[in-house]
Order: sequence, then structure tokens, then C-alpha cells
Amino acid sequence: MKRIIFTNPTAQKLYDDYFARVTRCVRILSPGDQQELLMELNSHVYEATHRGIAGNEVDILIDALDKLGAPEVVLQPAVAYKKMQQAGRSFNPKHILQALYLNIANGAGFFVIGIIYLLTLAFGSLAVIKLVSPTHTGFFLQNGHWFAFGYTSDLPDGLIELLGNWFIPVVILIMGIFYFLNTLMFRLLKKK
Amino acid sequence: MYYICCMNSEFVQNWFSQVKKGTLSYIILIILDGKEYYGYELVQEIKIHTTLEVAEGTLYPLLNRLKTDGLVDSKWIEQESGIPRKYYTLTDSGKATLTEMKKIWSALGTAIHKIEK
Repeated sequence: MKRIIFTNPTAQKLYDDYFARVTRCVRILSPGDQQELLMELNSHVYEATHRGIAGNEVDILIDALDKLGAPEVVLQPAVAYKKMQQAGRSFNPKHILQALYLNIANGAGFFVIGIIYLLTLAFGSLAVIKLVSPTHTGFFLQNGHWFAFGYTSDLPDGLIELLGNWFIPVVILIMGIFYFLNTLMFRLLKKK
Repeated sequence: MYYICCMNSEFVQNWFSQVKKGTLSYIILIILDGKEYYGYELVQEIKIHTTLEVAEGTLYPLLNRLKTDGLVDSKWIEQESGIPRKYYTLTDSGKATLTEMKKIWSALGTAIHKIEK
């Protein structure tokens, strides 16, 4: 993005400060999306301040930035939307979690997806816990009835662990299924 | 007995805010019908033709949304100043969508007029 040069140092500082705020607001996005939003607002500011109207450069710039709005407010929907698009394309959990955080206020659907993602992470962590504490982690039955799936500190008599080392691939498989289904739900929600 | 009736301005403001949200995309599509505009120019055009008080920055996310939905297209055009302009145009899908929206708007207006009488 080409920086606009103002003759008045105060105007230059105002402009630089505003775009520093814009840069902070969009840095969560992909480099391409960041560039697009920065260029769009920069073009707007340039057109608004170079219309050939008479007046103080600082006043003209303040008026233009005031009409444009605070970056933290006006960019929030665009950043949330673009992040959701990026997350839907990439399947990258980091982008998906960021998109959920930005869109959580947009509906219960995103809240539910967020909870399921937490469950997905919980299943994933069970695979690690099984390695650390193999006797306390697994699929436990007591007298033919379900007792626990996961970690239990309580190991009463008559407890049978069914899966053994197969517990790890099973939880990884469950985690994968949850993750895949949740991402599909995320894409469907994004299309709405 | 006298009743002093006053308008519920908070209700009206909230209602107008919803109307504004719902009609802004329609207004943008109408303005873009037949002519391409760059961002700043489009924002000014909206202001000239409507009395909508909107933060200018909020229109860009909406334009991006319309682009993602395939209703408008955009292209950057370099300028002598070195600061390019992003021009927006209506796509074929955007034109067809606008035609349908106009029908709905017209039907809605007719229905409201009938109720008001």
C-alpha cells in the first residue's frame, strides 16, 4: 500500500496513527485480505482528502476519518467475515478458532460449534493422557455396564478396560470425525 | 381527561436502524445498475440520493459481502497519484437479483399503501 504524504506534520501523524490502528485490526487476516482492506481504506482517505476543496489539511483529514469511522468498529464485520471465509477454505484449526471467536456474537450456531471444537480437543488430549497414565485411561466396564470413557482416578474391583492400546486410535478417530463434521457445519453456517 | 401521547423515539430509531440495514444493499445495487463507481464515489452517491447517516467505513464490508455473493464485481485501476481506485460493477447475477428485488419492493410498497388507507 502506498502511503499518502501530507504536507502538514500533524495531518501526517493523524493519518499514520489511523492506519496503524487499521493494521492492528486486520493483522489476524491472510496477507492478501489485509492488503485489500488497507488499500480500500487508503484509497477512500486519499479521495476524501484530495478533492481540491479549500481548507486546512488537518481539518479535512479529521473530517474524512471521522466519516469513515473508528477502524475497530467499522472493520469488525469485515474482519469477522473474511476470517470465516479463510477458515472455511483452509480447515486450519487456528483460523477456525479465530473465526469462532470473532463470530461468536453472531449466533448460537457458532457457539455450538465452539463447544464441539472444545470436545474435539478433549478427545485428542485423551490420546496423550493414555500414554501418560495407561491404567487409568480407557473404556471401562463394571459388571457388564458402562463405567467410564476417558480418565478415571477411581478403579474399583471388577473393572474391565476393553480397548487397551486401541483406545488411542479410537479417540483419534472420534476426534477426526468430530473435527470433519464440525468443519462441514461451519461451512454450511458460513453460506447462510 | 387528557392523554399526552408522545412518539417512542427509541423504538423508531431501532426500527429505522433495521430498515437501513435491510435496504442498504438494495440501494447499492440500484446505484451500480448501469454505471461503475469507485468506493469513495459510490459512498458519496449513496449520501446524495438518500438521507441515510451511515459510517462510510461500514459500506466496504457490505460491498465485499455483495462481491462474495456474486452480485458485484470489482477491479483495482491504477491512478497517476499512485493510489489506485477500486471500481465496482454489477454482475449479470446482480442485475437479475436487482430486478427481483425491485418487484418485491414494489409489491411491499403497494401492500403497505393499501393497509394505510
